[in-house]
Amino acid sequence: MSVCRAAAAVCCIALAWIGAAGSVAAQERSAVRPGFTLPPGTAHILLLRPHITVGAQSTAGLFQANADWTAQAREQIDAALALAQRTLGNDVMRAPEAIGADTRLIADYQALFAVVAQSVIDYQFFKGNRLPTKKRAGQFDWTLGPEVARIARGQGCDYALFVDTEDAYGSTGRKIFQLLAAVTVGVGVRSGEHTGYAGLVDLRTGDLVWLNADRQMGGDVRTPEGAAKRVAELLEGFPGRTAVTVAPGATPEAR
Amino acid sequence: MSRLIVRLALALAAFCLPLEAVAARAVDLTLPPFVSAYQPRTAAERGIWMQADEDERQLRDSRLLIDDAALNAYVRHVLCRTVGEERCHAVRLYVLRVPAVNATTGPSGAISVWSGLLLRLRDEAELGAVLGHEFAHFEQRHTLALEHRRLGATDLTAWAALVAGGAAPLVRLIMTASTFSFSRAQESEADSLGLRFVAAAGYDPRRVAEVWARQMDEADARAAGHKQRSRRYDGVHLLSTHPTDLQRMTALRAAAATLSSGGAIEAAAYAAALRPWRAAFLADQIKLNDFGGTDYLLGQLAQDGWSEDLLFARGELYRQRGNPRDLVAAADFYRQALALDQRHAESHRGLGMALLRGGEAEAGRAELRRYLELAPAAGDAAMVRALVS
Repeated sequence: MSVCRAAAAVCCIALAWIGAAGSVAAQERSAVRPGFTLPPGTAHILLLRPHITVGAQSTAGLFQANADWTAQAREQIDAALALAQRTLGNDVMRAPEAIGADTRLIADYQALFAVVAQSVIDYQFFKGNRLPTKKRAGQFDWTLGPEVARIARGQGCDYALFVDTEDAYGSTGRKIFQLLAAVTVGVGVRSGEHTGYAGLVDLRTGDLVWLNADRQMGGDVRTPEGAAKRVAELLEGFPGRTAVTVAPGATPEAR
Repeated sequence: MSRLIVRLALALAAFCLPLEAVAARAVDLTLPPFVSAYQPRTAAERGIWMQADEDERQLRDSRLLIDDAALNAYVRHVLCRTVGEERCHAVRLYVLRVPAVNATTGPSGAISVWSGLLLRLRDEAELGAVLGHEFAHFEQRHTLALEHRRLGATDLTAWAALVAGGAAPLVRLIMTASTFSFSRAQESEADSLGLRFVAAAGYDPRRVAEVWARQMDEADARAAGHKQRSRRYDGVHLLSTHPTDLQRMTALRAAAATLSSGGAIEAAAYAAALRPWRAAFLADQIKLNDFGGTDYLLGQLAQDGWSEDLLFARGELYRQRGNPRDLVAAADFYRQALALDQRHAESHRGLGMALLRGGEAEAGRAELRRYLELAPAAGDAAMVRALVS
């Protein structure tokens, strides 16, 4: 009995191995809720404490968190976000460090957002895997529920901005392994995983109005230039952005 | 060729199994030296601690957390008495409301104790052994060592996949088995250290092994209730992180036999501390749909006599299963509970429900009315009123 289980477990590990080595299929990266516009200068946006994790990828592909790199990345990304805020077209304020009962509430909603964002990535952005209810063209219908307004109570904000990045830099062993695997048996092994997403939630309805997610992001978040590049990628396509200056009336929706 | 590899793999895997079964060495009472305010030293350890800090934030903000000051203070008191004042201030304790037998330790010293475990333990010696075991994981930096081991094993497996060709699955199997074997050795070490803490603190070390004896009996009762074969305890599975309950019990018994018997148990203090929570923990247990295991557990808890909360819980258990004979048995348990305490409102409700379902409508409604008199503001009062009118 235990022999069978061991064999099954080994098969599972082997399959996971193959799955991890396979490349990510082409998928969408960004979506805006139909009909949603955010004219510049009309809204206050609350930026929640970004989730940032940086580490190394071992030769076999295991993630090893690195506290020093994460601290560097947090500093650089914070600075880059502060700069990027000016180009977002609307007033962005940082959420204060929560205390007491609020910590539980905010932790709950950050966890809920992470789950919803992951669902969007898995069941909408990944075309071959779309849920039957998410197949209509141009549809983008996801929500955290109206109760999410409680995380910004008394702060006069209209939207909440969530940012999440996770980076695993290939270790030296991983890079050598990648090279040798390509040379000797011709198998492509990925070195480094760089994923991130940013999302905007309407605090009145709880609807997810914009999400940008990418499993292969650029920019070394441990350096100022890299962090700026990463933040620019994260905020690509942000609604109401002033960087994309379009003459008033030029858009077809204007009339 | 492939058959040969499978055979070799099985032979080697079998070789990996009994390593920790011989862990029952003579116990040395000296405890390892303690470093207060330990800080992580290497980059790998700092990374592990950073993730542990994030996990601990979630633990602190968890809805499962029981923030009752008295219960937390009591568990901490037992921890401090077991591992000593100096050591116990190095860790944080989180009591979680989860109806399963478990306690966990984070690499940076966040110990969680689950309510299902508290319900099953009987005295401070047993709780001390669990807390000592968890503390030993922290003090011996087991997470870090296991992480190093796992990295080495997976790296070797990766290289083998590249260069060893047909032998790669064999290497993978051996490496996987060795990682889990290492984890089991760590658990045995923590068991042994936990026992040493208990003995050094003046608790009776002979009590500790009995926790595992009861765990096996309960698992057997659960399996029988679900009409399943009980799991074997004589050999460990290749992918088990812990030794089997039988191995742990045997090792603890052998180790305790080398220590002087006697010592404090503090069963009364333990029962008093658990008293305000026992009904709630029992209610959680009953929702698990585990008739056999729960009935065994209630019998164990009632070894010094059936109290009204245990009788009520047994009534709920039988009423939930709901065969006609169960309803009769449930009504009997509720009546026994009411004989001990006439004002036990929930027993009146349970008796009323059991009678209603058993066809005794009038007597059932009378019991439900009595429930409403005793607990007019109960959460389900409106629902019960609808049944009565």
